[in-house]
Amino acid sequence: MTDDTDPAATAPPTRVDLAAAFEESGVRDVLEELDRTLIGLKPVKARIRETAALLLVDKARRQMGLATETPTLHMSFTGNPGTGKTTVALKMADLLHRLGYVRKGHLVTVTRDDLVGQYIGHTAPKTKEVLKKAMGGVLFIDEAYYLYRPENERDYGQEAIEILLQVMENNRDDLVVILAGYADRMDRFFSSNPGFRSRIAHHIEFPDYDDAELLHIAERMLDQQNYRLDDDARRTMAEYIAARRGQSHFANARSVRNALDRARLRQANRLFNEARGPLDAETLSTITEPDLRASRVFRGGLDGTRASGQQAARQAEGTPP
Amino acid sequence: MKLRQGQFSFLPDLTDDDIRVQAQYAIDKGWAVSVEYTDDPHPRNTYWEMWGHPMFDNPDAAAVVYEVNECRKEHGGKYIRVIAFDASPGWESVRMGFIVNRPATEPGFRVVRQEGEGRIIRYTVESYAVREPEGARYA
Amino acid sequence: MNEMSNQTVTDAKKRYSAGVMKYAQMGYWEPDYEPKETDVIALFRITPQDGVDAVEAAAAVAGESSTATWTVVWTDRLTACEKYRAKAYRVDPVPGSEGEFFAYIAYDLDLFEGGSIANLTASIIGNVFGFKPLKALRLEDMRLPVAYVKTFQGPATGIVVERERLNCYGRPLLGATVKPKLGLSGRNYGRVVYEALKGGLDFTKDDENINSQPFMHWRDRFLYCMEAVNRASAATGEVKGTYLNVTAGTMEEMYARAEFAKSLGSVIVMIDLVIGYTAIQSMAKWARDNDMILHLHRAGHSTYTRQRSHGVSFRVIAKWMRLAGVDHLHAGTVVGKLEGDPATTKGYYDIFREERNPMALQNGIFFDQEWASLNKMMPVASGGIHAGQMHQLLTYLGEDVVLQFGGGTIGHPHGIEAGAQANRVALEAMVFARNAGRDIWNEGEDILRDAARSCTPLKQALDVWKDVSFDYASTDAPDFAPTPEVSA
Repeated sequence: MTDDTDPAATAPPTRVDLAAAFEESGVRDVLEELDRTLIGLKPVKARIRETAALLLVDKARRQMGLATETPTLHMSFTGNPGTGKTTVALKMADLLHRLGYVRKGHLVTVTRDDLVGQYIGHTAPKTKEVLKKAMGGVLFIDEAYYLYRPENERDYGQEAIEILLQVMENNRDDLVVILAGYADRMDRFFSSNPGFRSRIAHHIEFPDYDDAELLHIAERMLDQQNYRLDDDARRTMAEYIAARRGQSHFANARSVRNALDRARLRQANRLFNEARGPLDAETLSTITEPDLRASRVFRGGLDGTRASGQQAARQAEGTPP
Repeated sequence: MKLRQGQFSFLPDLTDDDIRVQAQYAIDKGWAVSVEYTDDPHPRNTYWEMWGHPMFDNPDAAAVVYEVNECRKEHGGKYIRVIAFDASPGWESVRMGFIVNRPATEPGFRVVRQEGEGRIIRYTVESYAVREPEGARYA
Repeated sequence: MNEMSNQTVTDAKKRYSAGVMKYAQMGYWEPDYEPKETDVIALFRITPQDGVDAVEAAAAVAGESSTATWTVVWTDRLTACEKYRAKAYRVDPVPGSEGEFFAYIAYDLDLFEGGSIANLTASIIGNVFGFKPLKALRLEDMRLPVAYVKTFQGPATGIVVERERLNCYGRPLLGATVKPKLGLSGRNYGRVVYEALKGGLDFTKDDENINSQPFMHWRDRFLYCMEAVNRASAATGEVKGTYLNVTAGTMEEMYARAEFAKSLGSVIVMIDLVIGYTAIQSMAKWARDNDMILHLHRAGHSTYTRQRSHGVSFRVIAKWMRLAGVDHLHAGTVVGKLEGDPATTKGYYDIFREERNPMALQNGIFFDQEWASLNKMMPVASGGIHAGQMHQLLTYLGEDVVLQFGGGTIGHPHGIEAGAQANRVALEAMVFARNAGRDIWNEGEDILRDAARSCTPLKQALDVWKDVSFDYASTDAPDFAPTPEVSA
């Protein structure tokens, strides 16, 4: 029994001012914030701008009665770890909310474990619970390809996939799903699950950051916590980034964040051991070269240290290598 | 006969969008929304069957509409209601309740009178539906 | 005002020498007194006779409502009289009313018997209202300490459990008083009940003076009414009720009628305020023991609540009734035919329904009042209201209220069932619109008109009563000015 409203008030407009809609919806603010807060990611930003324009035009067309269907908004974000997928997903949820495509604009982030159960009858309620929580917002499924495990015949992931596909199709007004993960694995996932491929309208690729961008990211991360690198440390950080990229489990910005966390730990330790009097703010806020140089990355990385560590252990136990 | 229980039984049947809007009102108040169904709509049948747990953590009422439709798939021939529960101090009770699904025909209730001395009558109201066993009602 | 002359006489010899002494000097005026958490506090509006000092008048009220008499008595010295003396501790001029004052008086908890409205009122309003040095006296508000509140049962059922028993949530309840008040036979009376309940009301109601008269004896009425209630329940699938008025000349007779109502399966019985506080408390206890809702009609209250300068404010009656333990009590409609300023009425409704009433001078509430988990009372709005005012009623009165449309149901041009249906459709449409976020205050008439498109009885009701409103100045608005004296 939806109430009838005054027909004059609901008559379709005959003209539309896209610039005004851009301002009023707050989309401009989101895009500017995206530009300001995210370093690099040029192609991603361009794709988001295109998507925003498309949605703005689509909304105007619907207001004029030129279109009726809710467009498919499900997306895939592909790229290596630490390339900003979750951060961009948050902004995307905000954007979709401001444009009126989702009612609440919250982001629910899950992985396979949140969707797939351990025993029979466990998966459907789990998946539905997550979907219901995400309704009105955006569901972000990280490493989505783990849902599909063809090698295991009785894998419950298939059940989750079926429910997901159903809701992605039938509840397009209620939530937007973003599938995320490594590009190559996502490709394989889509080719063995054509249902997903056909329901995803927007593919956005997240490139790796280059070295200069990562250094810039490092400095911004530190700045947010009121730390800074001195000149030697900055050079060391650049070396660190170049070395870390070649080692295993490199995860772009996430690797940088982890490195900085450890550097702050070492800095604290250094100050505690060396300090012989009161410390000023400058000293407390400065990361120096030794804080970074002590990293395993400069000794061949995780693989190198783990190997030599095992060797040491074996020697200690008296077993031959 | 049309069962008149609930907040909106004198209005035309609610659309899914109506259900969503009303459930959202409850969610925004911090109430947990549940879906329940029954084949015995007696006015004092307090405990309708629960279609899952009350939804405590869903910010958007699309989740309620989703469950109503899931419930309709299995129990579309029965009464289904949405209720909202308020756990705050001084209430701890239901704050909303409205019917969202009805059987195709509603046979209603009969009054059974047991006459006693001094013109006293003891009344029983009985759902016609419960003359059939569970599972065979509103078939 | 001569401060010295109001000073308490502390020299015992002077204080207790035989003769007459000012009440203030006897110790009933203590401007430095800080009320204890357990004190009962009363706020009186006093109008002293010409030439009588306001402080002395306040002290006199404190004295006469506690230990004092017109002359000094030596037997005070056999008691802990300091403690038993009520203390007037603050006197403020009433803003905008020359010659009237608000007097705050504190009473020690030991002055009262627990769980007895009769005892409380015998002290507070027992003697002082005829006191000669005052032109007029009005009890405006009381602060009842938690320690005292806890000695009372409180509402037998309460709003929460009443709704659970009725299986009715999320909307105001609907009722109607059977009309004409007098003269219908039991059989005809039951017809009105059946039509109204079947049409969509939750309750019908006996009027205050329907007891057991020659045209319809009570037992006959009860039997026909319960036939109507059960038939209507079967016709709609809802729990229905009718307030069977058990008011009678003796307690024994009231118990007998209440028992009979219970035996017939009624969910509710009714009494009138005129039966007295003790009888009300007894019936509240009976209702609690028997799982029955207790409706109280405030018959007679206007004789002492209506005048601004003399009597007892209805907000005080409301507090006493919440202690006494009734479930339903009439509390005004704002928009109907009976007295009711919006701000004052809000104060009453808050006293009925809240866990705690913070001081709200704009609503006539002078004290913070804790209700200590006493059940909530369901306010009843009746008197000259109709479906066309639904948006105003819902805005002013909220959701937990019984809206009683007597004439507005029975006077419908197409009959009682149509009248009931019009009210129910209007109510549901308005609640629906409010929940959907519409501005019902401003769009109310549109909402009703839209609802009437699929409900002819509502359309007819709106047409018949469209111009009916009762727009008179209220005689009992709160005397409130945000001045330092009053709001401090």
